[in-house]
Amino acid sequence: MPSTRPLRPFLFTSLLLALVVAVAPVTAQAPKTGGVLVTSPLSATPSLSPHEESTIATVQQASPCFNNLVYYDPARKQESVDTIIPELAEKWSWQDNYRNLVFFLRKDVKWHDGKPFTSQDVKYTFDMVRGAPDAKARLKVNPRKLWYEAVEAIEAPDPYTVVFRLKHPQPSLLLMLASGYSPVYPAHVPVAEFKNKCVGTGPFKLKDNKPGELVEYVRNPDYFVKGRPYLDGIKFVIIRDRSTQIAALQSGQLDVAGSGWNKTNAENARSGAPKLIIGEADSNVNDNVLINFKKAPFNDVRIRRAINLALDRKAYLIGPRQGAATFGGALLPRPAGVWGLTAPEVAKLPGMGDAKKQKAEAKKLLAEAGFTASNPLKIVVATRALAIYVDTASWMVDQLEQVGVQATLEQIETGVWHPKMTRLEYQVALNLTGVGVDDPDAQLFENYHCGSQRNFSGYCSEEIDRLMAQQSQTLDRAKRLALVNEIDRKLQADGARPILGWGKQYEVHWPHVKGWAVHENSIYNVGRRQDVWLDK
Amino acid sequence: MRTYVAKRLVIAGVTLLGMSLLLFVLMRLAPGNITDIIFESAGYVDEADRHRLEAELGIDKPLVVQYGRWLGDLVRGELGKSYRYDLPAWEVIKPRLPVTLELAVLAMGFSIMLGVPFGVVSAVRRGRPLDYALRVISLAGLSMPAFWLSMIIILTLVRSLGWIPSMTYVPPTENLRANLFQFLLPALAVGYRSSALIMRITRSTMLEVLREDYIRTAWAKGQREALVVWRHALKNASLPVVTLIGIEFAFLIGGLVVTETVFNLPGVARYLVDAIQFRDYPIVQNLAMLIAVVVVLANLAVDLLYTWLDPRIKYGSA
Repeated sequence: MPSTRPLRPFLFTSLLLALVVAVAPVTAQAPKTGGVLVTSPLSATPSLSPHEESTIATVQQASPCFNNLVYYDPARKQESVDTIIPELAEKWSWQDNYRNLVFFLRKDVKWHDGKPFTSQDVKYTFDMVRGAPDAKARLKVNPRKLWYEAVEAIEAPDPYTVVFRLKHPQPSLLLMLASGYSPVYPAHVPVAEFKNKCVGTGPFKLKDNKPGELVEYVRNPDYFVKGRPYLDGIKFVIIRDRSTQIAALQSGQLDVAGSGWNKTNAENARSGAPKLIIGEADSNVNDNVLINFKKAPFNDVRIRRAINLALDRKAYLIGPRQGAATFGGALLPRPAGVWGLTAPEVAKLPGMGDAKKQKAEAKKLLAEAGFTASNPLKIVVATRALAIYVDTASWMVDQLEQVGVQATLEQIETGVWHPKMTRLEYQVALNLTGVGVDDPDAQLFENYHCGSQRNFSGYCSEEIDRLMAQQSQTLDRAKRLALVNEIDRKLQADGARPILGWGKQYEVHWPHVKGWAVHENSIYNVGRRQDVWLDK
Repeated sequence: MRTYVAKRLVIAGVTLLGMSLLLFVLMRLAPGNITDIIFESAGYVDEADRHRLEAELGIDKPLVVQYGRWLGDLVRGELGKSYRYDLPAWEVIKPRLPVTLELAVLAMGFSIMLGVPFGVVSAVRRGRPLDYALRVISLAGLSMPAFWLSMIIILTLVRSLGWIPSMTYVPPTENLRANLFQFLLPALAVGYRSSALIMRITRSTMLEVLREDYIRTAWAKGQREALVVWRHALKNASLPVVTLIGIEFAFLIGGLVVTETVFNLPGVARYLVDAIQFRDYPIVQNLAMLIAVVVVLANLAVDLLYTWLDPRIKYGSA
């Protein structure tokens, strides 16, 4: 017995510690209800209809109003098929070897106007989005129709079951349905009303929408997730000027900000208010170079490769991106991304090697193509007239001049940027691309498929198209990853749309803001904010 | 006098018609239209969808038809619909008007209250330390653009007090005190430059008037300084000052765009720039016309004020 005595104090202490550890975090972190969170989004939203827009501003300001069938777990930083959680669907099931996706819906959900939510709402929404011939409504602008091309029919056999019937297996469909761009709309509200109003099932009900000024929500007391949301409301205040945004955060008028900020903005904000907390994460927005495949001499692979090699990625990181980016290919690189290339593979991509050697090789390639010091390649580098674009494009001009290319910068007004890109009215351009979902189907078809509306470089490869279709239907995840990486390597070798890097995102908040989730492989799918609370 | 006013109103009508044509043409000369912007924000362009949208908005019609329709609507008092927000244009403009009006009036009031007395004092105390001090203040006002001054005010406040005016608009009917706090600083930022201009013009015209024989006579007769300066001299020196105030009021809108942005005030000046960027023709055209009407009326008011300030001026006779 004496041998056990010395352990008694330790046992007691251990038990006490275990108790403290078990209880303390719960009591310290127990969410509080109430309060209105004030934040400033990227910009004013053109509407409250995510299906019709392609800007994060809409997703930020409309997401609290809506629900999806399924959504990405806000608490898990990396979005993948494993982090999908139920929302309006209680559960789901792939059937017939991934040709039917069946959703079993919640029965306790009401729209904000009190009408019950049923499977007809789901059918109505996604028939409209996929542009079905018998759809009951039509979207004025339908940017994500491509996501639903594999859907053959949507059936609603009873009020709480929906079946998506596919032309061929497409595991990515579930991931795209979980995006912030895929909310369910009410069938009884005309879609045009979502320009300025919002009737959803989400945790917050629209209180006020002053276009271009503010969007204000109040708590939905009938929300189907019991105990949520924690906040009494959310206010999105549109502040156009970045310096004013920073001042508003520092003065405490905003609880959280940072959308569209770079590292310097975030650090400036904290320098004036040291208690502010900066969150830095990867994002699925990349800086990419568009080289017009339809215009000579850019249809010459040597020219494309020379341009790609001339752009020293390490200089890009230090220069325009101020150290806040990661290198990668067509898909966000691992480990932040799910489908991108690994670091050793990324290190082998054009532009990643020794700058001097690569520039020498670029000069050699240009000479082979007939462009020398006496007959230099003269190009216009087009970019959108926004600071975040112009900074990188100016750097590009400098890099190209280092290999003897006579490059001039053309700033294109933001309103005509996409029309010019779609019509391929440029030679070389610097572009930013954000993808709603970190998924090969969402990323590759849109940007690289022959004839896609958003294939701004005019790149077209039958082999790549075939591989894209193949990966889309591959059910084994490891095999699919291998295929996707193969596509990525080929795209980079072809100079299809050289990726300079993937930018980091910043959010800056006061310590009293809790539960403000950020995902590292998408900025678009985390806007519900039902778990956010204020520790005041 | 009535004939003169009637003539001026006819000229104003012709001016506004010319203005409408200029506006219409300039907007159409800018590259792209609202459908480009809509598809731009959606990140793609589908030609079929675009043509459908153009037809819906009526911008597929010939320009002459579009112009005629707009003028017809204006005459009927219909301002059309905002392309961007799909709301009646008046519904979009109406809540923004009081914001800009309040800021403009406060800024103008501030510049007159500061500019005129400082100009008079500077002229009367010519060559003395006070004159130099006031001239430095006015030179500083002319040298500091409104956007820079606005930003300096915001940054200084947040750094020194940890406070800035409210970033959401507080109507005076809701909380007058908070509203004044919100507007005083932007009014100061905008009005400072105008006050400097007014001060310089007041000073130079006052210097001329103070050299006139009738002023010397007044001094010789032993009249009090206040009476000579403020009653006899200032009234006769005020014609160029009033002209300048009229012109400055028109130019004020330009300064308000930036100040409304920096202080996050939801006024029409900032909104006009947004509307131009979005090629929201009904908003741009109607707002610009509204501003043109204000400018034309302000000029008319200034001209009419001349007759009160200087009874020698007679309108309506050859």
